This record gives sequence, structure tokens and C-alpha cells, in this order.
Amino acid sequence: MKQRQPLFALPWLRLAFGVSASRTIGIVVFSIIVLMCIFQPIFSPYEANEFVAMAFQPPSWEHPFGTDAVGRDLFVRTWEGGRINLVAAAIVTGFSLLVGTTLGTLAGSSRRRWIDSLIMRIVDAVIAFPLVILLLALVVVIGTDRAWGPAPAGLIASMVALMCVMWAGYARMARGQSLAMRESDFVLATRVSGLSNSRIVLRHIAPGVGRITLALAVSDIVLVVTILSSLPFLGAGVQPPAAEWGSIMYEGRGFLRQAWWITLLPGAVVAITGLSLSFVADSLLDSRSKK
Amino acid sequence: MKTGAGWSRVARMTGQALLTLASIVVLVFLLVRLIPGDPVKVILGVEYTPEKAEALRAQLNLDKSIPEQFGTYIAGLFRGDLGESTSQRGRSVVEVIFDALPTTMSVVVTGILIGVIVGISLGLYAAISKRKGVDLAIRTWGMLSFSVPTFLVALLLIFVFALNFGWLPAGGWPNTWPENLPYLILPGIALSAHLSTTIARTVRQGAIDVMGQQYMEAAAARGLPAKTLNIRHILPNSILPVLTLVGISFGTLLTGAIIVEAVFGIPGLGAEMTRAVGRRDYPVVQGIALVTGFTVVLSSYVVEIAYTLVDPRARTL
Repeated sequence: MKQRQPLFALPWLRLAFGVSASRTIGIVVFSIIVLMCIFQPIFSPYEANEFVAMAFQPPSWEHPFGTDAVGRDLFVRTWEGGRINLVAAAIVTGFSLLVGTTLGTLAGSSRRRWIDSLIMRIVDAVIAFPLVILLLALVVVIGTDRAWGPAPAGLIASMVALMCVMWAGYARMARGQSLAMRESDFVLATRVSGLSNSRIVLRHIAPGVGRITLALAVSDIVLVVTILSSLPFLGAGVQPPAAEWGSIMYEGRGFLRQAWWITLLPGAVVAITGLSLSFVADSLLDSRSKK
Repeated sequence: MKTGAGWSRVARMTGQALLTLASIVVLVFLLVRLIPGDPVKVILGVEYTPEKAEALRAQLNLDKSIPEQFGTYIAGLFRGDLGESTSQRGRSVVEVIFDALPTTMSVVVTGILIGVIVGISLGLYAAISKRKGVDLAIRTWGMLSFSVPTFLVALLLIFVFALNFGWLPAGGWPNTWPENLPYLILPGIALSAHLSTTIARTVRQGAIDVMGQQYMEAAAARGLPAKTLNIRHILPNSILPVLTLVGISFGTLLTGAIIVEAVFGIPGLGAEMTRAVGRRDYPVVQGIALVTGFTVVLSSYVVEIAYTLVDPRARTL
């Protein structure tokens, strides 16, 4: 275990520019983005769907990201959109992590071969599809017209579709890990000392598997945000007028020549979010592999 | 020589690929049956009338029992019949897909070509120059290309190279060769952004491994010039994994191609899929899912088989 460093002490500076610089930078930048998503829409003088100024205003002091084709403030829309994207990504990833890890561990440590091959055939089939195609097919099945409570139209369908697909990656990884751990010496030792199979799996194998899949989950949040914001370009995903990163950029796509800021400034926020999370995920994977 | 082990490996992989194909078929069949409530009602939406529903139900074979439906579906598959499109009158799903597939494939192939060329040269350069900075740059770029959505890369490319410099078209598709070529460059670059960095890192690692081998030392001791060493020995030995990598990435590339097509307005599978989703053309959605799923499984199968045949070391596993 790494020792906790006191905040704002000199070691903190070394930490910031030293070995775990990428993790520190990643966490700091991501926290700033999350805080902006929480507080900016609260303190902003504008509402996300309010027509506040002339259309196509370039970035200025009143409108840091400019205004869009119908005169809505893009700054508040971007952070409001971040709420949708980040919350949705967190829910989808959390669900997939839980279901995938459980099923994968079950497949990897079950004594019954048919459970293993049944789960893994489904996993193989789900992974074999090009991700977006399976997503679109599922979105058609679920239907995108309805809004559910605070979720804008199209969001729930996209989230359910993503959950149906994303769990498979965790299942495959968890199965591999639990197979490897089943062969390891310490599991053998627990078996020799007479622990029941379910106890070995729950107390000794599952935590080790979870640690590995958790690192995958952090980088998967990036993937989910990316895919969710790609869906509007394919006629699915969150429907306008809701502010969501993808739909904001999709609406600005036709005005790239006159008003680049509609697409590129929210795009920069998406890119920075993705990068900061990738930094964190990378450092997580790194410290695991060094151990 | 352990040829026996090689063949049993091929047989096992064939069996596994067939099983995966079977699961895809079943999954696609189940998709439309998983719609909660009446699928016909969902597909028709506001256009719902009892007569239309009856006709559509007959067309989609939903008026029979589940085993019967499955039988017709499987029989249709073997005849190469995926049903009729519900939104484009008189066109079969097979027609729709195979009209659009060549366009998508040309985007994918362009992406692969650019990715392979850029990736191999970068990877070799990083390994040979031994500078940490190059590797760091590749890693950073790799992370960037993973974190930035493909459509954003595509929009940036349009913004810089099409709108600002005016070097290349911002989108569209003349649909004749070779006029299509300039319209493929920006989509290809956007698609290859992630692939090229993965290739670069694999090639770099492979090349560094090769450089540590004794036969490289022997070749250098015989006084071969550095150029010969790099091209005759390091290059062939380090690009073998690239083959596998491209095969594995095929699904991701198809997904990327569909998004890139949407941004550049290229009339490929992505456009058909988007249209089908918009009009709830279920047979087309089902057909595209089936065909792309098959393509992905077959491509990774072919690559694995080729790898087993080319590299004797893979046979013993």
C-alpha cells in the first residue's frame, strides 16, 4: 500500500510532477469537469434551452462558448450535457461491471462445464457484432420516442442498449482472470484447507477479479461517453432539444464554416474529459501490473 | 514437426467460429422477438392500422409459432434470403446490403491501408531511433485517439483540411472510380487514427524484441549495413503481429466506418443502417447486423488460421 501523502506538502509537489503525475493530473482535471457540470448550470444566468441572444455569436465574455444556431448559450448547454453524458456513462459502466464480473466469475469458477460454455458463447456472439450496429438494432427494438422522468427522449433506450452490449467485455475478462486464479497456489491452499467452493469463489477469487475489471471500467467510461455522443450522428441517441454532448455537436456540424465553436468547443470538453479519464485508467493499470 | 497439433488447433478454431456464427444467428432471430409487447405495433408506430399490422405480421412471419418462425428464418438464411425491406418497396434486404457494402469496404480498406503504413513506419522509427520521445509521442497520440470520439476527429479534419485549406472535399461521394479516391482520404485518416497507434506500439515492441535476438547480433557481426538489417530482418519479423491486429480490429473498424460515413455523407452501410433505424425497417437492421457480425467472425477466423499456418510457433499451443 502506498502511504497517504499530506495534501499541500512538498511531497505532493513531487507527486504531481513525479511518478504518478498522470494520475494526479487526470483526477484533478476530471474533478474540475465534474464540478463544472454540477455547479455551472446552477449559477449560470441562462437556462440550457433558453433563447438568450442572437444566433451564431462567437465566444465572448457573456457567452464563453458562443451561441448556437437558435441563440442558446453553448456554455451552459455544454455543462448541462456533461451531466447527462457522465451520469449515463457511470450508470451503464457500473451495471456492466457488476453483471459482467458476476457472470464471468461464475463461468470461470463453476464446476459445471455447460454453464461456462453457455455464458461464453453468448459473450462471443455479443462481442462479435460491430458495437454500433448491435446498439442501433437494440435501439430500434427498445424505441426512442419516450422520455422517462428526468431522462430526455432516447437516453434510456441508448443506455439499455449499451448495457446489453458492454457487460460482455467484463465477462470475458473476469472469466480469464478467475481461471488463472483458480490455478494459483493460494487458491489451492484454501481448497486444501477444506473451504467450500462458494466461499473460495466469493472471498478469494471475486475480489481479485473485481480489481482487474474495475480498471477496465474506468477506461470504459470514456468509451461509453464516446459512443453515446456518436449516436446522434446515426439518427439515434438522445433526441433534441435536450443538451447532450453528441447532439450539441451534431446540431453544429452543418455550420462548421460559419460557426466552428458550436462543434469544436464542446468537442474540446469531450476530448479533455476523455483524456483525463484515460490518464487515470492508465495509471491504474500501470500500478497493478508492476505489483 | 508437430503438424498434428496444428491441425487439431485449426479444427478447434473452426468449431469455435461455427459456434459463434450459430449464436449470432440465434441472437439476431431473438432481437425482434424481444420487443416488449407487439413488435408490429412498435415498427409501425403512428401508422398503425389493423390491416397494415396483419400484412406486416405476415411479411415478418410473426403470425406463426416460434419454432416455425425459426425454421423459415434458417431456411431463408441457407437460400441467401433475408426478407424484404419494409421501407424501400420491392427491394430485398440482400440487395440493399450488397449495394452498400462495397462503399463501406472501400472506406475500411483505406483506413486499414493508411493505418498499416503509418503505424509500421512510426513503430519501426520509434524502435530504431531508440528515443524515448518518439514512444511517448505515440503513446500520447494513442491515448488521444482513444479518448476523442471518431466523429470529432472527422469534423476536425473537415474543418482543417477541407474548409480552411480547401485541399480535399468535405464530404460526398461521386460513386464512380477513380473519382471516389479524394473523397476517401479524410475518412480513411479519421478511421485509421486509433489503428495506426496500436500498430505502431506493436511493431515497436516486436522490433525491439527482434533486435535483442542472437541472429541479429550475428548479422551485425558479419558486417551487414544497418539498412539491410532494418529492412531484411527487423521489418519482416515485427510485422507479423500486425496481421492479427488488423483481423481483430475489424469489428471496431466497421463501427468506426459507419460513424465516419455518417459525418462525411458517404452512402454506405452506415447510411442504410441509419435510414433503417429512422424508418424502423426491421428486416434491414436485422440483415445488416447479421452480415456485419458474420464478416467480423470470419475475418478474425481467417487471420487466426493464416497465423497458424505461417508461424510454426503458434501450432504447438
